[in-house]
Amino acid sequence: MSKEEFISTGIEKLDALLEGGAPKGYAVLILGTPGSSIEILSKQLATTGKVLYFTTEETETEVLATMKRFGWSNKDIRIVDIASRYSETILSGEEKRVSVYEQRSKIKLKELIEIGSSGTPPIQKGGEDFLAILSNEIKNTSSEKIIINSLDFFLNQYTQEEVIRTIQAAKICNIQNKGVLFMTMTRGIHGDIFERKMEGLADCVLELEVLQKGSTFERFLAVKKMKNYAKKIGIARYAIDSDGFILEMIERIM
Amino acid sequence: MANVLIDGLKERISNAIKINQSIGILLPGSNYSDLLQALFEYMSSQPEDVWVYVTITKPYETLAKEFEFIEESKHITFIDCISRAAGITKTYPNCIYIESPTMLEKLGLEVMNVFKEVNNERRKYLVIDSLSNLMIYNDPDIVTEFFYHITNRTRARNIHTISLAIEEEGMDKYLNRLIYLNDKILKVRDSFI
Amino acid sequence: MQESEFQKKEICKTGIEELDVMLGGGIPIGSTVLVVGSSGSGKTTLCMQFLINGAKQGERGVFFTITEPLFKLTKNMEGFEFYDKKLIESGMVNLIDLRIISERLGLDTEKYTVEDASALLDILRDIADELNVKRLIIDSITALCYRLQTPEMIRDFIFKLGSSLAAMKCTTLLTSEVPPRKFQYSQYGIEEFISDGIFFLGDIERKGDLIRTFQIVKMRGAAHSRTKSAMSISSKNGIELAPLLRSRE
Repeated sequence: MSKEEFISTGIEKLDALLEGGAPKGYAVLILGTPGSSIEILSKQLATTGKVLYFTTEETETEVLATMKRFGWSNKDIRIVDIASRYSETILSGEEKRVSVYEQRSKIKLKELIEIGSSGTPPIQKGGEDFLAILSNEIKNTSSEKIIINSLDFFLNQYTQEEVIRTIQAAKICNIQNKGVLFMTMTRGIHGDIFERKMEGLADCVLELEVLQKGSTFERFLAVKKMKNYAKKIGIARYAIDSDGFILEMIERIM
Repeated sequence: MANVLIDGLKERISNAIKINQSIGILLPGSNYSDLLQALFEYMSSQPEDVWVYVTITKPYETLAKEFEFIEESKHITFIDCISRAAGITKTYPNCIYIESPTMLEKLGLEVMNVFKEVNNERRKYLVIDSLSNLMIYNDPDIVTEFFYHITNRTRARNIHTISLAIEEEGMDKYLNRLIYLNDKILKVRDSFI
Repeated sequence: MQESEFQKKEICKTGIEELDVMLGGGIPIGSTVLVVGSSGSGKTTLCMQFLINGAKQGERGVFFTITEPLFKLTKNMEGFEFYDKKLIESGMVNLIDLRIISERLGLDTEKYTVEDASALLDILRDIADELNVKRLIIDSITALCYRLQTPEMIRDFIFKLGSSLAAMKCTTLLTSEVPPRKFQYSQYGIEEFISDGIFFLGDIERKGDLIRTFQIVKMRGAAHSRTKSAMSISSKNGIELAPLLRSRE
């Protein structure tokens, strides 16, 4: 297996787990349960290669601060700060239902009247079309690494069908660029069927899980799927120290 | 012979209307077409006057065919209460259609609506053809109430009314009562004088 | 003479001739009137005609639709001669789909919390204020009450709405859906007690034909007629009323 086939993830042990790295043109879905630190992983992935990084939960400043804290290089990274843009227009994406007054005061009355008079439900009118931003940036990029942290945001704002369509288009651009597309998503909140659809859509699926064993937590990173590379399925235990992810190989299926 | 009859009828109508606000015309069924002819000929001879002809007897279409000048007469508006109930769906420009002869309130409304738009200087006339037919489709008390109602309004607005009633053996007491509510009654006979 | 002049200013004319006569001039300004009827009885047409007539007199109005989507409402109204699109375009008559607004406010389609009801009340008031309307329609209040759930919330909502709009000198018509042939004024039995007026749109059968009827059941502050009228709805003249012939009812 020649090195040219793969793009380094930026984490040596992960490259080893994947036996080379992420294959060029691949779309990698990173599923994680809350607390599994997928947001740290997504940043560590941005340490090598020319990166286009979409951040929906943290601002650009926060992303760079975290990377600095771990001592990671951010020399060739373009950050698209959707988080800041979103909080500028409407509320910051909270899962919980915010009180109706608060929500209302963020929308101008005149706009509300206009929306009500036009008779057709608007799509993000008065706000930006973030899915379109995602789509356009990817279309125009020449980056070899595209990282989306995370899909949760888009799934809260748009329908699942719309998000899937956008990902499919992104995949095509990624294949043309011969790059690798990383997408993070929280497991267990978007529905089993959708998760399965996404797993089917992705060429590679990495799953991060945290299990409580007695008084300690054990963290596992599993390579659940690797298209065309059956023998790469495997699990590693991981921990996070001041330098980032540390992986310990456990077993391979096969 | 017929012409003499018709001319005579025209004259009697004309005279009666000049003096009286409301007239009733009692006629045997056999004279019905003669009367219609007289009436329509008279109506068309007075183009400055405004006429509203309510028909519960013959569809407008039939009347228009019989008396061709009707269609051109802009001063006569028809209110046809039976075409729709009979399933005739055609529309004609100077005819207003009412769904059913039972919709008396609507009839009253439409009649008054036509006159509302009329210049006060013009003389206004309402023909009801016929009270007998109204009684076929409605209970007599309602027709009575309707009649009082419409004559009250027409009197208030200086609209002359001409009501027709077909005379029959042992005529309905209600019809009798109604027709005599008018200021003047004209009885039509074959050999009238 | 002075008194009747004062009274005249305080009246909101419906523009439907016979109705204004029956009301002794018109609806007292700032009143909340419940327009009751089963589906197809003409409630929406009456309310729309009320708004359009007001607009023609220079009074701005707003029509909040909940039961039917906007495009359906306009489609149905376009058949009427009184429906003047220019009044809509100029903003004299505003048509607003309340369901879209509720969605934007994050309101549930089945149930409102106390907070939700407050927010909705506020938005209705704010919109009325912003648009400076003198006539307001909610079609239907029944749909709102369904979401308000408890009698207390319903009473509270309608009362507060009525008070705020009265303070703005805005005359309000709320449509109330009832089952046909039932002698009731609302689904929840509360709306009629809070309203200042009730217009009942029903029908009677005469020789197999259905004749539409209209009656003013109550109208606070007006010496109104209690007679039942026959109602005709035509594309030419919209709603017209004529005294109902009473024999054999």
